[in-house]
This record gives sequence, structure tokens and C-alpha cells, in this order.
Amino acid sequence: MKARFEKYISYLIGLIIALSIFSAILLAMGFNPILSLEALMYGSFGTVFSASQTFVTVAPLLLCSLAFLIAFKARFLNFGAEGQLYIGALCAYLAASQMGGLPSILSVPLVVLASFAGGVAWLAIPLVLKVKLEINEIFPTIVLNFIAMLVINWLLTGPIKDPRAPNPQTRVIPTATWLPIMIPGTRLHVGLIFAFFLTFLIYLILQKTVLGYDIRAVGLGPRAAKHGGIDFSRNIIIVGILSSGLAGLAGMVEVVGANHLLISGFSPGFGYQGIAIAALGTFHPIGVLFASIFYSILLIGGESMQRGINPVPIHMIYILQAVLVLSVLIVQEFLTVRRQK
Amino acid sequence: MTDTLTLILSGSVTMAIPILFSALGEIYDQRAGVLNLGLEAIMSLSAFVALWVGSITGSYLWGTLAAILVGGLVALIHGFACITIGINQIISGLLLVTLADGIANFSYVSIIRLSGVPRALPTLKPIPIPGLSQIPVLGPVLFRQNIFVYLAFLFAIVFGFVLYKTTWGLKIRGVGENPQACDAAGINVNRIRYLCVILSGVMAGFGGAFLSLGYLGLYGYGIASGRGWIAIIVVILSCWSPYRAILGSLIFGVGYSTAANLIGIGIGVSGYLLQMFPYIIALIAISLMFKRTKGPSALTVPYRRK
Repeated sequence: MKARFEKYISYLIGLIIALSIFSAILLAMGFNPILSLEALMYGSFGTVFSASQTFVTVAPLLLCSLAFLIAFKARFLNFGAEGQLYIGALCAYLAASQMGGLPSILSVPLVVLASFAGGVAWLAIPLVLKVKLEINEIFPTIVLNFIAMLVINWLLTGPIKDPRAPNPQTRVIPTATWLPIMIPGTRLHVGLIFAFFLTFLIYLILQKTVLGYDIRAVGLGPRAAKHGGIDFSRNIIIVGILSSGLAGLAGMVEVVGANHLLISGFSPGFGYQGIAIAALGTFHPIGVLFASIFYSILLIGGESMQRGINPVPIHMIYILQAVLVLSVLIVQEFLTVRRQK
Repeated sequence: MTDTLTLILSGSVTMAIPILFSALGEIYDQRAGVLNLGLEAIMSLSAFVALWVGSITGSYLWGTLAAILVGGLVALIHGFACITIGINQIISGLLLVTLADGIANFSYVSIIRLSGVPRALPTLKPIPIPGLSQIPVLGPVLFRQNIFVYLAFLFAIVFGFVLYKTTWGLKIRGVGENPQACDAAGINVNRIRYLCVILSGVMAGFGGAFLSLGYLGLYGYGIASGRGWIAIIVVILSCWSPYRAILGSLIFGVGYSTAANLIGIGIGVSGYLLQMFPYIIALIAISLMFKRTKGPSALTVPYRRK
């Protein structure tokens, strides 16, 4: 009970610190912080359309943070969600662009599978290194993020570029492969429901199944797992596949749900933000759900904050995010240590 | 052909420098038991600060000093979060990346809005070392470089000497291996850790200043282009030794330089594919070498008195 109270206190203090620094920087740079916050709120929730945009962006954020979360439970640090997301998006595009003739009921599941497989493929090397050679996964996954980015930029400027588009982007995928829109007149697609469903599924897996128990046991380390008769390698592989697959799905919802094509730089760092979101949501699926919505408000609101007479650069949002999460984690840790003394 | 080779080799030395600077600071940091994953963005931020202060004051010295000051300050945040409070160092490092990148790009865009796109500064002039710079191939590669390059190699040697031959070095290694014993021996564990974390920021600051003042003459998004992460990989590959870090950085210098020069010449292959060079080297190096390395025992473990 006390721990929960402390959690709320930490969010409150974090928000106060983050907003103070936000306002101080904006004032120093000659912006009006009140107007900026107004633009941020209006841009993310002021109209039905802007609210729908916010929820469109919740899907990839939520999937990326789930990707980090489930692996983190086994202390497998998948820093490669950004790369897996791009490769998942690429596979979703490649699959969707071949399936104009198929009915949605067939093509959409195939696209989903392709993106999942793409994400997993991009974790294959780090996963093999981890399981076979006990090499820490952090650096291979980060290096592969850079490589994925270059692969995508190469393909988008050559082999799969739409020759008529001035920007590095592909053609639009066949409409039969688009995810259905939930509210007419908006871009809100069923990818959000899909992400909510997966959140619930991850919650069930972690809390109610033997697999979830094994994953948490593996998180205590290879020796502890072995002591409990749990196969370390097998569970790391399962967790790796789920994690990278989820990141691949995050790329998929952006391609077949939000954009209907593959475009250079479509992710403003969803993969990396997923890590911060997982931490902000205290590595709990429901906490992560709320943290994703919050992050999405900042991202979408931040875009409209850039426009108008008070044009604050979007980078202010990233400063705000980092300060907020850092403060929350610092306050949480401080309170926990004090309580245990 | 020899011209291209000389170009690639001398570029390799140049491009090893920002990696070497950052790796040296990170070696001390990790030896003391703290992991700083924020190097990539600290380099970007200090590259921006160096260029900005440098162009305002007209002095590269002030630019560099400002860059290392900012680098140290950002690292100080990491120190407070991880040493005094004790939050997860990996998460904190990642948030540092978001924070420092955010500050760098926010300032960059704000300054463009206020006073237009800043002019590119001329990069630092090479200082040929008399006599030695006349040696064919090796001369221009090693002895016709700018001041940062000589400084980086000097730092590597000094850092190695201090780490292995002085009491300071012994204390640093001690707090990373067995903080309890050091505490019992009257060493202030957290003070040494703080100094090492700040040092890692300062050194990444040198790396960033070199990128903008000594190499590019300008700032752009993602200016560090992976060098901060590569520096941490170099730390592990060189088994936390400042001397070996020279070699490690040079390997990646060759990767970056080959890519840049081949793109410059234009060999009909997409630049994006050529830019993969250093990352592919990194993957291979990690696969072959990482298994045999063992880091400081207390790395990422915060120290609290029981």
C-alpha cells in the first residue's frame, strides 16, 4: 500500500520537475510556456481528429515498450527494437505490396506474420551470440539498429523507391491490405485494439502461466534458473522471439495501419522510447499502457507545438521526456531505499 | 592508388580520434564501476557547443573548453542518478542520450530561428611535425594532423600510465573491483566514482569538439553517427586498457575512413551500404572477442554502506 502511494508521489514530483525545467528553458529562449502547453494539449486532444492521431501513435509505442518489457523480465536487454521495427515494417511492406489480389481476411494475417518474422530475424544474431557464446546483447542489438536504418535508407533511395515521389518512400500498398479504420474520418485503425489485446496477453503470460514464471526465474540469472530446473537458453530464445516479434509488429502497424507505405525516418525513435516507457510504467503491462498514452500525447502535441506564433522545436519534447522519466526513477529509488532502511 | 591509400589511412587516424577520446574516459568510468551509455549524445551536444561557442568567441580553445564543461555537466547528472541514488545505470544512460540529443538539437533549431543557419567554421589546421612528416605514407598519416590528434594519443599514454602505475589508478581499479574493501581502507568510493563519471563526460566532450572543430567544421543531426556506441565497444574490446584502446579505435577509424573515402570517390555503390562498414566491423569484433573479456566486478553495481 505504501509502495503504491510512493509510486504516485514519484509521478507527481517527476511531473513538477519536468514542467518546471520545461517552462524555465522556454522562458529563457523567449517562448511562452503557457501557450506551448495549451498547444500541446489542444494538438493531442483538442479535436476528435487530434485525439485519434494520439491513439494512432499509441500502438507502435505500446508494442515497442512491451517488446522491451517482456525481455527485461528475463534480464535480456533488447536495445534493438528500433532496428527490429524498421525491418518488421520493411517485411510488412514487401508482403503487402505482393498481395493486392487476396482478400483482407488472408492478406492481413500474412502481413502480420511477415513483420513478426522480420523483427525476429533482426534479433537472430544477438540471440545466437547470447545463447551460444554468452555475449551480452546490448551492443550487438544497438549496432544492428544502425545497420537496419542504413538498409532501409538504401532500399528507399534505390530498389523499392517510388520513382514518382520526390522523397525516399515506396508506393502506396494495395488497399486490401490496409488495416480497417475504426472511426470514419480519422486515421484510427484497428492496430490499436491489436496492441491492447497483446498488452493483455503479455500480462496473462507473465502473471498467470508457467512460461511467465520461468521468464521471471531466468531474470534472476542463469545459475538461479538452473537451480530451479529451468532451461535458461530455451527461455531466453522464447523471450527474444516474443520481444523482437513485438517490435516487428510495431513497424507493421505503422506501414499497413497509419501510413500505407514505407517512408524514410517514419519512426521518431519508437524503439528507444519504448525502453523509457517501460521504465516509466514500472515494467508492468498496465503501467506501460498508460505511459504509452502519455508519451503519445507528448509526441503528437509536440508536433502542433511547433506551429503557430510560438513555434517551440519538437526536440523540447525529448528533453521533457528524459527529465520526467529520470526524475520519476530517481524519486522512486530514493523512496524505496529510504523505506528499506 | 597510393594517394587513395594515404587518404584512407590518414583519414583512419583522424576518425579514430573522437572514438579514442570517448573510449579513454569510459575506461576510467567503467574501471571505477560505472557504465555511461550516454557518450553518443554527449558527443553530439559537445560538438554543437564547441561550434557555437567557437564561432561566437572566435576561439577554438574556448569552444573546446565549453564543450568539455558541458560534457562533464551532463555526465554529472548520470553520476547523481547512479551513484548517489542508485538507479539502473543502463536505463539512466539511455535517458541521458535522449536528454543530451534533445538539448543539442533544440539549441541548434532555436539558434537557426534566431540568427539563421550558422556558418561553417574552417577546421583546425594540421600541424606537421618537422622531419617526421616527410616520411613517405607514414609521415602524412601520423605526423601531419591537427592538435586534437596528438592530444588524443598523449592522453592515451598518460591515462595508461596513471591507471597502472600510480596510487590514483590503483584506487580507481579498486573501487570497480571491490568497493567494500576500498571503503574499509578509508577510500571514498563514491567520490572516485563521481570523478570518473565526470571524466567520461569531459572526454566525450573532447571527442565532440574534435568532430565539429577539427573534422567537419559544422553541426548536423546525428553528428556522432554511432561513434559514442562504438567507443563503448572499443572499451570492451581493449579489455579496459587505455593502451589497447588506441589500436581498437584505429580499427574503427579504418572502417569510417574507408566508407567516407569510397563515398567521396564514388564507386557506384550506395553510400548507405558503404556506411555500414564500421558497424559490420563492430558486429564481427563483438562475435569474435567479447566472450573472452571480463569487466570490472562491480560494474553497474551502486555502492551503499551496509
